[in-house]
Amino acid sequence: MVAFEDVESSLLAKPSDETPDVPERTPSNYAPLKTFVLEKNRQYQQQYADIYFLRLTKIKPAVEEVAAAEWDGLSVGNEKARRVDRVLDVRQGELCYVAGTIYVDMPLKPNVMDDVSKDRWIGAPTTVQKYFSDEGTSTVSLEDDSGRITLIGNVLSGIVLVTGCIVAVMGTENVNGEFEVIDIKFPDLAPQPERWALSKPPFTTNGKKGKVSKLKDEDIEMTDSEAARSGGKIAIVSGLEFSGTDSSYAMELDLLLEYLLGEALDPQTQTELSHISRLIIAGNSIAADRKTAQESDATDKKAHKKYGYDSKSYNAEPSHLFDEFLNELLPSIPVTLLPGALDPANSSYPQQGIHTAMFPKSRSYSAVPGSSEPGWFDAATNPLEMEMEGWRVLGTGGQNVDDMAKYVDSDDRLGMMEAMCRWRCSAPTAPDTLSSYPFQDDDPFVMTACPHLYVVGCQPTFGTKVIQGTDGQMVRLITVPSFSASREIVLVDTETLDVSRVKIAAVGSV
Amino acid sequence: MDDYKTYLAENVLSEDKVITYRFLSRALKVHVNTAKQMLFDFHKGQNGKRPGSVHATYLVYGTKKDEHASSQPRPSQDDDVDMMSSMPEQEETDDVVPVQTLSLIPENELKDALQAYEEVKSIHVYSLGPHPVKDVALLSDAARQVLTLSTPEDVPSNLKIYGTITNANVRRRERKGLGSRLAAAAPAAPKAAAPKIEAKPAAKPAAAAAKVKEEPKETQKAPTPAPSAPVSSAASKRAKPALQRGGSGGLMAAFAKGAAAKAKKAESQPATPSGDDSSVHPLSDDEEDDSAVLPKPKAPETAAAKSRAQQRKEELQRMMEQDDDEEEVQEKEDTPMEEPEEPEEEKPAPESAKEEPVEVVSASGDGRRRGKRKVMKARRFLDEEGNMVTVREEAWESFSEDEAPPPPAPKPKSASSAPAAKGKKAAPKGQGSIMSFFNKKT
Repeated sequence: MVAFEDVESSLLAKPSDETPDVPERTPSNYAPLKTFVLEKNRQYQQQYADIYFLRLTKIKPAVEEVAAAEWDGLSVGNEKARRVDRVLDVRQGELCYVAGTIYVDMPLKPNVMDDVSKDRWIGAPTTVQKYFSDEGTSTVSLEDDSGRITLIGNVLSGIVLVTGCIVAVMGTENVNGEFEVIDIKFPDLAPQPERWALSKPPFTTNGKKGKVSKLKDEDIEMTDSEAARSGGKIAIVSGLEFSGTDSSYAMELDLLLEYLLGEALDPQTQTELSHISRLIIAGNSIAADRKTAQESDATDKKAHKKYGYDSKSYNAEPSHLFDEFLNELLPSIPVTLLPGALDPANSSYPQQGIHTAMFPKSRSYSAVPGSSEPGWFDAATNPLEMEMEGWRVLGTGGQNVDDMAKYVDSDDRLGMMEAMCRWRCSAPTAPDTLSSYPFQDDDPFVMTACPHLYVVGCQPTFGTKVIQGTDGQMVRLITVPSFSASREIVLVDTETLDVSRVKIAAVGSV
Repeated sequence: MDDYKTYLAENVLSEDKVITYRFLSRALKVHVNTAKQMLFDFHKGQNGKRPGSVHATYLVYGTKKDEHASSQPRPSQDDDVDMMSSMPEQEETDDVVPVQTLSLIPENELKDALQAYEEVKSIHVYSLGPHPVKDVALLSDAARQVLTLSTPEDVPSNLKIYGTITNANVRRRERKGLGSRLAAAAPAAPKAAAPKIEAKPAAKPAAAAAKVKEEPKETQKAPTPAPSAPVSSAASKRAKPALQRGGSGGLMAAFAKGAAAKAKKAESQPATPSGDDSSVHPLSDDEEDDSAVLPKPKAPETAAAKSRAQQRKEELQRMMEQDDDEEEVQEKEDTPMEEPEEPEEEKPAPESAKEEPVEVVSASGDGRRRGKRKVMKARRFLDEEGNMVTVREEAWESFSEDEAPPPPAPKPKSASSAPAAKGKKAAPKGQGSIMSFFNKKT
């Protein structure tokens, strides 16, 4: 309860002659990893099977270790659980445990076999919001390079499994050739690197201001020591959805800009804002073109007259607005931009950075092509693995979680993120239902290092929680809502990884 | 300091504009915080005189009541599947997340809006307008007006003035493309300027006659008074390149006319500055235009320009030492410039020579001419009555033959003092009739 008269503000006064101080922004210590960068002249002719094979070989040792610790020496009804190497080696009636890849078949799930059977004709993309249906018609099976076995059992109903995750199951094969699962194990959180594993903490470089040191092929900008002591913040926003047609949240975007620039608010708050050292834009910066019925009618008529691509139907306004937004921000704050589902980048995972040609004004802040130093304006991949203020951060534009949510009845996005961490796979449903590049040599979606902070953009609501691993790993999970819907941004403290939110409300809105 | 009052009065009261603090700060080049105070002071002052004459919006930042309760991230609900039932039990902490709210509130709603706040960290006037804000879009437009005032060139200094949080680490990439273009433009500019000046004395006398052939002579004459007029020795040095340039320009034309200017060419040809032909030839082409449109000659000559000219001369000399191959390439480049004059001069030659009525040469190379020509052909057919009818009519016939018309061949020979490169220059134009002459020579 605040009354206007009670509010004291230095700004509700006559202008003073003294020139106010201009705060200096906290430097950002940032080193993006090239985990998800694809080579420029990549081929798309390979088979997808390699991804599953690579994933299995990478994660299987970990999950078997967990399973062995739990189940070795365990006996059920005088029978000792035995480890079986391959799915095909499971013998009927024998108690055993085996590791493999989960495959979930659901009636509503698009099946790659449909495409194949239709022969040179690709099935229409699915429009269902959920693959999940209540009838319990989905079947879960476990497979590896040798074969596949259907899993049944009550245990499964209590656990969420999606295609592509690697698990170990214990049980017996019944007369129908199905595997009755008694227990199930996940690889659990991957080993977590120490803080400052790749970059050096700023205070070790006393007196070497702004020095660049080379470490493991990563150029890391060193920052002066005093700045690091004060807890900085990172601002994370997603779903800015600059639009050429919908200006309902244009004012909020303006306010966001002024907020991040530190022009809004009073001197004290401005000093606080100067601790925001970096802005991460996690997907969907440019709005989907939602045409009204009238407009689409008009374009239909036009289409008859004009053959081919009608350049008049292209609206450059959204990218102009976004470019202007960035161009105003960048002199003051470095920006990391992840593409999202709606952005002008390739649609398959991992999405590569939005081309800087999209940003005629702000691209002068981006990295010189071919240089190893990250740009001040870093148009990064989605997902992106980075080290920020020493913390390992994994960020995505949200497609991996969105796709996984289709398999599951609930909408517990944080739970899904946790599951991904425990499966050690940041995009388990790729390449089955989440389109992905057909990797040949490595599956980058395998989390070889557990992040400290896992951020997923473009989610329906805000949420955060901390999960812990068996080795003392701590992961901060954050779902970042779309700014266009929620009008809020997330601030993360760079020392404690504590989270706070800022809501922005213009006149008339809530 | 008080000029903000006049500015605001003008814009808000007279021109019905909505002025935000950012716009005011850009317009008056003051710190944003000062601008906020100005808006407040003006608002207070005006409404003190006449209540309701100015309407403000406020920007409020702080903690709202009840936000703590609602800020709880959705805890696991009843219908939620416990995804990790097999996991070791852990107390998963759902954090209570502090929420700050930044609201833009019109002044008439301010009291109510503040009621909802538990703590206000910051409040200030966001904008002033003559009317209460009804549509946010209008305000948004007003906010965007800032862009029209901001100048991109001096961003860093502006940040300091306006109070934007500065960042010492900001890196901009040197735009390589832009940079090199500018760098290229810089030396090019004096180059372009210099020849223009030189060409003028030559062009003026020649203008009326439009006899390009005479140009070399004229240019030779021109430099002689030139050194005497400006006193410096640099000027006289410059005169030489002038002559060369003029010579090369005229040469193209003169060369077509035959060996008349042979002697002259002999001295001017080797001096042809291969490097800057592109900047020279346009002059020789539209000299008349130049003299007509740009009558004022090189009157003001700064020392800088002179030294540039000297540099240029050295550059030219270096270029001259380069081998002929390079020159050939350069020559080829200028050919488009020549186009307007050459056709008139050379085309008549083959046509006047005895030839078939019409002939279109589509390709000639490797010593053969290919194309189509019009010939009279006899066509014989049966008409409706079964009679054989023979009709002679014109028809196009494609041909391919050895270099047919020899007469013009000696012509280029007469210009043989010019190196073969000269001949080649016509090649890319697709002027078959001329090209064919030179092909034999090479």
